[in-house]
Amino acid sequence: MKAFILSAEELGRLVTEWAKSGAVYAPVKVKDWSEFRRISSLAEADLTRVNTKLSARSLLFPQCETMFRFETSHPDKAQLAAEPVPQVILGVRPCDAAGIAVLDKFFAGQGETDTFYRRRRDKTILVGLACQVPDDTCFCTAVGGSPAGTRGLDLLLTDIGGHYVAEPLTERGEAAVKDMNEAAAADLAKKDELASKATAAMAERIDTRKLKELLDTADTNPVWGELSLPCVNCGACTFVCPTCHCFDITDETRKDKGARIRVWDTCQSCMYSQHASGHNPRLAPAARFRNRTMDKFRYTVDQVGEVSCVGCGRCIRECPAGIDIRETVERLMLALGEQSADAMQTADCKMQKAK
Amino acid sequence: MSREEQLRKRAKELLAKKEVVMVICYRAGKRPGTATPAFVTRPDGADSLVFDDRCGMNLAAYLPRVKHLGRIAVVAKGCDSRSLVTLLKEKQVTRDQLLILGVGCEGVKEKGKLSDACATCAYPNPVICDEMIGEKVTEPPPAPDPLADFEKLTPDERWQVLADDVSRCIRCYACRQVCPNCYCPTCFVDTNSPQWVGKTTAESDNMMFHLMRAMHMAGRCVECGSCSRGCPMGIDLMRFNRKVAKIVKERFGATAGLVPDEPPALAAFDPGDKQEFIQ
Amino acid sequence: MDESPVTEAVATDSTAGAFEPKIVAFLCNWCSYAGADLAGISRIQYPPSIRVIRVPCSGRVDPFFILKALQNGADGVLVSGCHPGDCHYLTGNYVARRRFAVLNDLLEFAGIDPGRVSFSWVSAAEGERFAEVVRDVTEKVRQLGPNKKLLKEEVA
Repeated sequence: MKAFILSAEELGRLVTEWAKSGAVYAPVKVKDWSEFRRISSLAEADLTRVNTKLSARSLLFPQCETMFRFETSHPDKAQLAAEPVPQVILGVRPCDAAGIAVLDKFFAGQGETDTFYRRRRDKTILVGLACQVPDDTCFCTAVGGSPAGTRGLDLLLTDIGGHYVAEPLTERGEAAVKDMNEAAAADLAKKDELASKATAAMAERIDTRKLKELLDTADTNPVWGELSLPCVNCGACTFVCPTCHCFDITDETRKDKGARIRVWDTCQSCMYSQHASGHNPRLAPAARFRNRTMDKFRYTVDQVGEVSCVGCGRCIRECPAGIDIRETVERLMLALGEQSADAMQTADCKMQKAK
Repeated sequence: MSREEQLRKRAKELLAKKEVVMVICYRAGKRPGTATPAFVTRPDGADSLVFDDRCGMNLAAYLPRVKHLGRIAVVAKGCDSRSLVTLLKEKQVTRDQLLILGVGCEGVKEKGKLSDACATCAYPNPVICDEMIGEKVTEPPPAPDPLADFEKLTPDERWQVLADDVSRCIRCYACRQVCPNCYCPTCFVDTNSPQWVGKTTAESDNMMFHLMRAMHMAGRCVECGSCSRGCPMGIDLMRFNRKVAKIVKERFGATAGLVPDEPPALAAFDPGDKQEFIQ
Repeated sequence: MDESPVTEAVATDSTAGAFEPKIVAFLCNWCSYAGADLAGISRIQYPPSIRVIRVPCSGRVDPFFILKALQNGADGVLVSGCHPGDCHYLTGNYVARRRFAVLNDLLEFAGIDPGRVSFSWVSAAEGERFAEVVRDVTEKVRQLGPNKKLLKEEVA
């Protein structure tokens, strides 16, 4: 598809247009970070920060979602939650969009689809924004992504200095910008140059290709005990993760009326794996830590054919204990790759010098 | 010898002589300006230990998890040592399970700024320790009451400020998990019969969680600020904790985490306690 | 007294839809509950605003009970136990008093209007006093109006 060029004013007009027929969400400055909020004009958005506090997942798979309402006196008359309104999510970073592509596989892929996710996803247009200066927590290139990645998006914007190059990636994306001017060759060259610069700026060079193979036989490796020690098993990493998608279902009733609600759940909570019998197969903190790492780099490869870490770095940024998943992977590769204890120690020293 | 060198040397000795099975301290994180808790069990592992203004995590939080291993040496700044006192008071650890390596603390920095909790710290030096590593730091003059401005607001304004703040809560319970006081095998948020706190992030449920968490901190919280620093959503959790600490101080003259033999303020009473609020 | 339930009922009738608070009262079995009983058998009049929950001691009252009542639609909460020194279990109300003190101050701090949650000491012999406390608490809550803060209005 051919690319278009938009001035900031034109983008502003598009936003106003979109806001008339649905909801527009974009990163908005909150204290010293940004969060996706509903906006009515582009001026409210802050497109300068790399990653929002929570990923765009919360707009497709909200933390609390009413599935249906019921009355105990009329059990046959459950009322499905109202249809969601059409939405445009503006300023989605490529890692977040890749995360949504992963969620699509779980919730809207082959086999069973999730009604509530599907309904929102079908009415969502994802307008991405290519990254130019990575944060110190970014590592998308290490997990198959790119600062200018297009996966999952309908439209990708690249800020080439006052103007945006808009690359439509789907028909929906094309329909949104088709009346704009076509991008000139110079604009496209500038866009490509910025993309390769951004990729070169990604410091992280970890290689996760062999990891799956190593993890396949690592269930009982003692390395988990050591790696998990600093982890306090809060759910912060899972809640900020663009691809974590576990939920819990609960009924809330008042007198004879009630609603069935689903809320985010986390494998880091010991309640997550608690059986009705009282048995808990994942009671040990290390087992819970192992589960998250295994899930990202092994289980989802088995389930949907790809690693479910998109390198957004949110778990690194928000971990209260300062655990860095890049380092976890490095140490795992060293420990599982039959390297000697000396190698581990060299890694220790390296990390210490890195300060 | 710098404090860091002394720390490493001492940790190495303790592990080599098998006086302890583990030293809990910090090591540099992968990202510049960050540190992460370190659990060293071999003498040679002590070379990577650090202690400076990046080391915010309250290490006392880990003790209930590792105390079964044997005697543990733990590096404690003022607030960590007070948390250890709380744990001792509440019989979660015994004194002989601990070897406390005290360090003076000049405050923890977050993104280059002094952490909010540290700005009003009254106890930068350990209140209990077996040995000091390095010198004590000068005790700061009493800080002005950080709640003064908030308390001047009207009740409706106060409610609104708190409701806005906790509306961001994603109920990840990082505040609970990093807190050395939160060691209950089953937390009130995890019970479902009765279900004390609703699972949703509605204002009412979030407020219920934060108010009740504050109640459970009364007379126990040492105001280390781990919860506020740990909160991924940047909620000012310390506002609640500071308030309960202030109430307990004003009403019962008690300060948490100072005297191991005294019971926690809310597990005790004085027949003369003020009761002006009771009809 | 013009606060008797009879005049009140009339007042409510004449101003249809006027706010009548719902108050949850946690009463200690050994004192205030018996005090309420005494008020009843002595035919002392007080507003029909309270829903009594009998507890074995004011020390049994967890702050959760109070907040949960507000969350589930109570406009006010009253906790009443034995006078200091008179606890059936010797010290239950002393320990409870500290807890209530912290809760009272914390709720005020959080902007929950003072008067929404009340505490009292009423013995088994104080029927008239019990009625007086209920009249007073009801009036305070009526002045405040329906509880909105902490109320979980409708499910999700």
